[in-house]
Amino acid sequence: MEQREEIRLTIAKIIREKSETGQLMQFEELLTELAGQGLLNPEGADQRSHLEGILRQVVSENEDIKELSSKNQIPHYYSSRSLSEIYAGILVRKEENSLIAEIVRENSAIYPRPVPLNIFREPPFDLTQEEILDYLEKMGKQGEYQDIAQTTTSIGTVFLYSNRHLDATYASILAEWLDVGQANNP
Amino acid sequence: MANHGGWAGKVLRIDLSTRRISTEDTIEKYKDYLGGTGIGYKVMWDEVPTGTKPFDPANKIVFGVGPLAGTGAPCNGRTAVTTLWPTCWPKPLVASGHMGGHFAAELKYAGFDAIIIEGKADRPVWLRVVDGKAEIKDARHLWGQGIRRTTVDINQQMGPESSVAAIGQSGENLVPMSVVINSYSHSAGGIGGVMGSKNLKAIGVRGTGSVRIAENKEEWEKVVKLHLSLLGSVNQHVVPNSPQPWAEYYSPTRWLGSKGRKWGSAEPNIETGACDPHNLNRIAYRTNNAAFFLGEKAWQYTVRGNGCSSCPIRCHTILKVPSVSSKYGIRAVGQNTCAGLVFGREFFKTFPDGPRGQTAIEACMVGMSLTDDLGIWENYGQMQRDFQQLYYSGAMKNKVGEDEFKGFSWDQYEKGDPTFLFELLPRIANKQGELATALGLGTGYLLERWGISEQDWQQNQKIAYWKMGHPRHHANEDAGQCGVIINTQYNRDSQCHSHVNFTRNGLPIKVQKQLAAEIWGSPDAVDAVAAYSPMNIYKAKMAKWSLLRKELHDSLSLCNWMGPWIASPLKERNYRGENSIESLLYSLATGDKKSRDELDEVAERIFLLHRALTIRDMGTKEMRTEHDTIPDWVFIDPTGKASFTAGTNRMDREDIKLAMDMYYEEMGWDKKSGSPTVAAYQRLRLGEVADGLTNRGLVP
Ligand code: SF4
Repeated sequence: MEQREEIRLTIAKIIREKSETGQLMQFEELLTELAGQGLLNPEGADQRSHLEGILRQVVSENEDIKELSSKNQIPHYYSSRSLSEIYAGILVRKEENSLIAEIVRENSAIYPRPVPLNIFREPPFDLTQEEILDYLEKMGKQGEYQDIAQTTTSIGTVFLYSNRHLDATYASILAEWLDVGQANNP
Repeated sequence: MANHGGWAGKVLRIDLSTRRISTEDTIEKYKDYLGGTGIGYKVMWDEVPTGTKPFDPANKIVFGVGPLAGTGAPCNGRTAVTTLWPTCWPKPLVASGHMGGHFAAELKYAGFDAIIIEGKADRPVWLRVVDGKAEIKDARHLWGQGIRRTTVDINQQMGPESSVAAIGQSGENLVPMSVVINSYSHSAGGIGGVMGSKNLKAIGVRGTGSVRIAENKEEWEKVVKLHLSLLGSVNQHVVPNSPQPWAEYYSPTRWLGSKGRKWGSAEPNIETGACDPHNLNRIAYRTNNAAFFLGEKAWQYTVRGNGCSSCPIRCHTILKVPSVSSKYGIRAVGQNTCAGLVFGREFFKTFPDGPRGQTAIEACMVGMSLTDDLGIWENYGQMQRDFQQLYYSGAMKNKVGEDEFKGFSWDQYEKGDPTFLFELLPRIANKQGELATALGLGTGYLLERWGISEQDWQQNQKIAYWKMGHPRHHANEDAGQCGVIINTQYNRDSQCHSHVNFTRNGLPIKVQKQLAAEIWGSPDAVDAVAAYSPMNIYKAKMAKWSLLRKELHDSLSLCNWMGPWIASPLKERNYRGENSIESLLYSLATGDKKSRDELDEVAERIFLLHRALTIRDMGTKEMRTEHDTIPDWVFIDPTGKASFTAGTNRMDREDIKLAMDMYYEEMGWDKKSGSPTVAAYQRLRLGEVADGLTNRGLVP
């Protein structure tokens, strides 16, 4: 087997294994891992462009291997055998300020429904209560998030929605239905 | 019979008055009605005369199971129990209750497809059924005992593998709001008092036989595997409740399994994991009904799921709450699902630590401990809604004598103290006092007894009362006009889940509409919840399909709390399920090859027989105005929002008239009266039924 082919197979394997753990593979991580295994030559600065070339080939040869870039253009890789596009999309946006707003907009548009605030405390978001409140405060001050609104159900659960897709009454009826109504109508 | 698989081949008939035990050939007499409710309605039509009352010896109880019970088909553990319904108001009519557990499979292994109970024993008895033989046994030592002790006693005699369906004190005392329960938590509501009226305490069944699969076994295995691959969580929710690595979508469904979520009272703890739908060995980790209904806190008390034979869903969550033993003197372990799980909690308006706190969970534990032993029925939460309304409106105080009223600890009740349930629930089972007796009658008879107009209840959205003594069960709040139509059709709450298992499945509305177009002919058959569009013919088709599949499941022993399986969690199938899974399973198991449409036609025959029984016993053909009625609250929005705007479930009167027109037309019934025509009966080979009704002037 040619060395280049061996590297491609190894890269696909590493990405798939990482995806099976529910995580994305970052370009830098891959670089370190392959260098550690002595699989990357040439040395130094050329390593990057060398790896970029190989990765392009890996992605084109393997239907399941996908590339995804974060807002700051850092490439991430995953296998769609274990990670869905949506899930990978959440992971890649995890560090971004806009994540909560984008998730809320998506949910308001496609299901349609408001989203309970506490979903952001669970995987894959894994935000703390403080972080969530912090995001909300920041969003409240920034013009680009003015469509994100809140509604509270009769048992005190806070839901977020985008008023681009749901009006206030509709959002509150849906939140009440999801939080209280469905459980009262088993 | 020799060539058929699926069926056991015999129906057992027990005359408790004469102690005569006989059998009849299932295929010869009942094949055209499959089993379950099909056999039940047929017996009621042929043998129970109009005017019979539920507690008369002339009433019969049919414990019916279907050709798929006891096979390897998923979710096949349902027994349909059909009789004259004691809480159907103002006149008892035919209805059925449905219990899961292991009774259905065990009955098949014992060689029977149904048990017909008739007459009345002269003293308390129980029925022992083992491998083709039945015996009527003395139950005097069991009379007065709760369901748990009765079950254990009979299990000790028959062996731990036997399944025991028993009534508690409530049924013995002829309380209409009573259940029969097998396997501790699998109940059929409304039946307890009817069994009590026959002095029948319990039925124990044990079989060592098997169910024969008539066709190619490899094909059968393939279809069973396909069916398993299409399963979601309980109620066929096909999208997980939170984002999972494998999932494209997430929604607030009952698919709660997720990385990090643990059955906290299993020893050692068990993590449910991400529950990739391709791993068929982890289906049971998807559902946790306790956590869905009681909140996050329930995870720490979860031991595991329990459920019916051959069902990997396990929707009866087992909880272990140690604090209840010392506080209330009850067992720390309890199990149930849906309405049974929250029986105790629903009486209270508030709890000291909120609606999802520890006290609410303890109220559930106390409720299960008492009601599943005393054998009380909650009528899909209507008993508790009635109770709250009557108490907080002051009506209860006026209707119950002062001394009796003072005898309850109302301060404890208002504070949300579960000990209040020890005062209330045993009195219901024992008919002690006016309040308990009235609650045990069921809503219709309670309102009549206390001089409250049914219309008062029908105007109050919060009480969720529909008609004939029973509540709504997945109506406009879940599926707009389709849900309304379905809720008009039965003589108790509709218990139909075919439509709601689709509309609540968690898929985005666009995907639901794509699937709807394939199944009912247009994406317009479904709307996003609380954003309903005007009626169209596809909604009527969906209503008809939903009702027929419900009846089909109830006759095959499949669980309509799970099926149908027209959506799946599988992205590679574009979330399609298999609309023909029932006919595939039926054909292979029985050898009686039927296409989807042919099997749906049998379901339609069964459903039509239910309609005919209702018409005959009501003595009117004016079903549209006298039976298929809709409560006023359906047409009211508390904020005054107009129908067909986003944010309301309010229906429009003219539009619902059109909905009923379209539905009757789809069924081939007369639009004006809502009654089936002679041609409709004849098309489904119910000519004799048409003749019987024609003689009484009951066909349009
Ligand atoms: S879903 Fe629940 S009720 Fe239905 S068959 Fe399975 S365990 Fe029984």
